[in-house]
Amino acid sequence: MDRAHRKASRKYRAIHRLNETARILDRAMDTNGIMPSEKEPFLNWVITSMWNNFKQDRMNRRLVIENEIKDLKLRFPNGTVKKQYSVFFSLPLDKISDITLDGIEDLGLSLIIDDNGLCSLAGRPTQVGDFTLKLRYNTIAGEPRSELSIPIAFNPNPRDLWKNIPTDPNILFFKPDSECEYVKVESKVDGMPCKDIVAASQRGRSHAQEGKPRDDHFRLFHCDDSDWYVIAVADGAGSAKFSRRGSEIACNVVVEECKKRLTNNPAFEDAIRDYNAQPEDMEKRLRMTNYVHDIVLLTALKAHEAINTVAAANSENVRLKDFATTLMFAICKKFEFGWFIASFWVGDGAICILDTDHKIIKLLGTPDEGEFSGQTRFLTMPEIFRDPDLMKKRLRATIVPDFTALFLMTDGVSDPMFETDKNLNDYAKWEEFYRRLTNGFPEDAIGGVDLSDDNEQSKEQLLKWLDFWSQGNHDDRTIAILY
Amino acid sequence: MRGEPIESVKVGLESMLSSLRQEPFALESVNISIITFDRDVKQILPLTPLDELQLPEISTPESGPTHTGMALKLLCNRIDKEVRLSSPDQKGDWMPLLFIMTDGKPSDVQLYREMIPEVKKRKFAGIIACAAGMSAKTEPLKELTDSVYSLDTLDSASFKKFFKWVSDSIGVGNRSIGATDELQLPPPPPEVNVVC
Repeated sequence: MDRAHRKASRKYRAIHRLNETARILDRAMDTNGIMPSEKEPFLNWVITSMWNNFKQDRMNRRLVIENEIKDLKLRFPNGTVKKQYSVFFSLPLDKISDITLDGIEDLGLSLIIDDNGLCSLAGRPTQVGDFTLKLRYNTIAGEPRSELSIPIAFNPNPRDLWKNIPTDPNILFFKPDSECEYVKVESKVDGMPCKDIVAASQRGRSHAQEGKPRDDHFRLFHCDDSDWYVIAVADGAGSAKFSRRGSEIACNVVVEECKKRLTNNPAFEDAIRDYNAQPEDMEKRLRMTNYVHDIVLLTALKAHEAINTVAAANSENVRLKDFATTLMFAICKKFEFGWFIASFWVGDGAICILDTDHKIIKLLGTPDEGEFSGQTRFLTMPEIFRDPDLMKKRLRATIVPDFTALFLMTDGVSDPMFETDKNLNDYAKWEEFYRRLTNGFPEDAIGGVDLSDDNEQSKEQLLKWLDFWSQGNHDDRTIAILY
Repeated sequence: MRGEPIESVKVGLESMLSSLRQEPFALESVNISIITFDRDVKQILPLTPLDELQLPEISTPESGPTHTGMALKLLCNRIDKEVRLSSPDQKGDWMPLLFIMTDGKPSDVQLYREMIPEVKKRKFAGIIACAAGMSAKTEPLKELTDSVYSLDTLDSASFKKFFKWVSDSIGVGNRSIGATDELQLPPPPPEVNVVC
């Protein structure tokens, strides 16, 4: 048989089978009593309804897959603008194909899907705000592309949002938004270096944001004749409207009162010498503590009274608690046997002697803290001075051979640096603090403070250091260091 | 609350979140939790930092009782679990603020009254109650707090204003508290009526 003949034979068989099918279909319609004129409309009807069934089934299969994708409950966590963002999720590649996540390019993100359906959405978000991404994919051939909206939000970087609005200089009790001071004590005739004091106070970002004044304050004093050092640090309560004045009065009164009581007071110094010679002698101890009581406690009381007087002198709707402030101060003097340090402390913050040579710290009291952040006690609370445990709680007197530094700081510094009471009592944390103070925070381009003798520039360094970043800690910051 | 008013609440909440996110201090320190109450009481959002927060769906039934008392009970329970207090080992959270909004009145009056002293024990920096719409009753809210406000219209513009004011109040609450006993709220917008 030649090729043409074989081809004709195949064609003939095909036509024969088709005719056969048509005849069977025709006979079936005859058997069911379908009139010849109704045969075509009937076949049309059959095909239409079957086609609809087919489409319905195909759509149902698409919807099942769409629900499956929806049930994955894809949620993208919020990101922060310009900070690396990355999220992983899985998609069933056996059920869906041609996946796109529309809208990501505009946001600076890209999507990578591996062969197993593991998806990675990553990048550095370029825009702040709430956005909706569209996940689009194919399911069943012939069905339209499926779509799922997924919200995504990028927060601004809080560091970019802070404003520095200067305080209106015309407000009542205005004070500069920052301050720093260095008290240089010249070396003695023997050439031995003397300890200096450096202090800085910076308005907190939460105040700068609203153009509100700094509530913290400090005052330093060194008496060249008697060689007494006086250091006072106070933190005006954020919620009290004239606390900036309260903290200022407190520090001023401390310096003036201590100056008065320490200059030319050989009896007190003798009592300290006697006590040091025989520390176990109760009488000598009592004599020394009586002096401390008279000088330190009465100074604190004077500060309380001075604020009270100012509050009372103002108009009727000004109350003492509008001047609420914490207060910590120390009087220090170097004797031939070592350093005498006496202190008073009400409120939060920290006052501590650090000795890195002997790896010891001496916390001069305990911070007053409530159950919640921001709760404390204030110098302006009259009950402070009625407390029978006042002396034990708030007064300290101690003699140490020498020390690296004496720190007085408000909670604007101690909260971010130590966080808890437990850490405040931990030498390692103080060593860490000292390291951060002297090395700075290179990752945030904040320099350290060079605490070498007579370095007067350390006051500016310290002020700049106070701008360190700590999430959620943006209170006024004040620190005074005797070193 | 359902239908358009609850949609307006959602719009208001969304705009409150976006305005809070523009405040650096809020962005770093605010945490928000949401409890819905109708026939059922649900904490639809556990205490979540603002920067991580995504608003969940708020669904409400067609009608039924308003279990405000049960809501306060759940609130106390969650506060005790989720708000951290200061201890030697951990730094405490800021005092929480409570905003309560209702368009009706408590159906579980007895439980509501029992829970009021419990809520007050939890030491909120402030409790701000809002009666939303004409059928909301302010009297029960006055038993809970001295800061009761009302909204006449329940459209999204009013809720946006209300929540803007809420976010301003959150800003104020997030300061050291202790010197003054009471929270000084910023003045409310004209849409928000001061009840007491």
